[in-house]
Amino acid sequence: MLRKERLKCFSYLTILVILIVLFYLILPHMAYAYLDPGTGSYILQLIIGILFGLLFAVKMFLGKIKIFLKNIFSRKKKDEN
Amino acid sequence: MKTNESIPSSFRDPSGFLFHQDGSIYRQVNIIYKENYDYLIKSGLYKSLVNTDLLIPHKEVDIEYASSDEAYKIIKPEPIQFISYPYEWCFSQLKNAALTTLRIQIKALEFGMSLKDCSAYNIQFRKGKFIFIDSLSFEKYREGKPWVAYRQFCQHFLAPLLLMSYRDIRLNQLLRVYIDGVPLDLASSLLPFRTRFKFSLLSHIHLHAKSQRYFADKIVNTSSRKMSRLSFTGLIDSLKTLVNKLNWQPQATEWTNYYEDTNYSEDAFQHKKQLITEFLDKINPKTVWDLGANVGIFSRIASTRGIQTISFDIDPVAVEKNYLECVENRELNILPLLLDLTNPSPSIGWENQERMSILERGLADTVFALALIHHLAISNNLPLYKIANFFGKICNSLIIEFIPKSDSQVQRLLSTREDIFTDYTQQAFENEFGKYFTIQNFVKIKDSERILYLMIKI
Repeated sequence: MLRKERLKCFSYLTILVILIVLFYLILPHMAYAYLDPGTGSYILQLIIGILFGLLFAVKMFLGKIKIFLKNIFSRKKKDEN
Repeated sequence: MKTNESIPSSFRDPSGFLFHQDGSIYRQVNIIYKENYDYLIKSGLYKSLVNTDLLIPHKEVDIEYASSDEAYKIIKPEPIQFISYPYEWCFSQLKNAALTTLRIQIKALEFGMSLKDCSAYNIQFRKGKFIFIDSLSFEKYREGKPWVAYRQFCQHFLAPLLLMSYRDIRLNQLLRVYIDGVPLDLASSLLPFRTRFKFSLLSHIHLHAKSQRYFADKIVNTSSRKMSRLSFTGLIDSLKTLVNKLNWQPQATEWTNYYEDTNYSEDAFQHKKQLITEFLDKINPKTVWDLGANVGIFSRIASTRGIQTISFDIDPVAVEKNYLECVENRELNILPLLLDLTNPSPSIGWENQERMSILERGLADTVFALALIHHLAISNNLPLYKIANFFGKICNSLIIEFIPKSDSQVQRLLSTREDIFTDYTQQAFENEFGKYFTIQNFVKIKDSERILYLMIKI
């Protein structure tokens, strides 16, 4: 297996483990309220939302770094010109 | 209070409903929705969405139009030329409708609101673009509350798109069976196993379906569980990234190279185009339905003249190609739609009235039936009298091509079946159609045995 593929596989497994842990962390606290066909969708959002939120924050952060680096390089080019 | 007729598609939402009065469509905003409606307008969200062609513009009219005592306001939305449904859309149409919905949700969040429902039926086609038509689908965003329309988005958009992309393009027809979108457990079982190894797909479909099943009979306290704004935004962003990446590569079908594979010479093709142009000039219709339009070559003769044209075809590849051409050339007057003429969209939903059948949605000024009649009569065993009766019901004028038995295309259709079609003659064709139409003109197309007719309803 290539190093890149191994890394991809590892990161995927990590996310999966986090997801399962989160699922079980939340489940035992279930109390009593209402029954609704959307309950499963509701609970799932709470769990996967944490991960998608983190991924989104990383995406935004990387985006900002990209813009920052672009600005530096474009400034350098301008200076050279 | 005046008498009016409520529209059967809008009874679920307590926020308001649509009704007809004096030939126009109005929407009643109920008092229960007052706070959200006022916020939609005052926050600037309405203006921003209307300015970016994402939400249908409306005018507030006199409360005298109110249909019940619960009325807070009456609004008159700009009318939509033709209502189409998601099971009549090709892959890219459904994908663009999904992206439009997500764009609206992202914009709504910027203004402190969120979509409370995500029905694909709330998206319609107007001037070459998809637009959201339900002005009462917005609610104030409440910090900590998950997205209430998430399940509906997955069922109405994500699941059918994934099934079309990963399994079979024809699976969009499941939307015709399941009016509230494809059930996620069904989508999960139909999708290939490899989709479980994509994190976003695993979450939004497979785990989503499992979670729905697990909690179906559980009593759960959801009030203590909060979803942060970052998680909320992350969820929407993940859906947007996933839908954006989805694609479908059309395979060649028997219809896609139809024009290269017919017995038309270039001269015949040009002559046919010229005749259609001349006929259109004579009758000058406002709307055209091109039945069996393929990729819409003849539909464009009408649409480029400013005529509102609907380009129907049974082949998802042809409709996809037609739609992508519309998008590329920013065409405003043509709407390609999927339709099997031998089994057209029925009326579905509660009391069979929620979604209209194709025939309930309009009468076209003019119908094109070009290189179609032999498919109906020979491939589908439809007697000429039934075909003529059908066309008599759907239009005021008809541009129709008769393809005689001696034509090589008809011979091809007859090569594998017994010729039981003794009545399929030009004389019988004229007799049957003559019961409903006056034949205004007919011309033999150059270099072919085909005859193009212009008929006007009696």
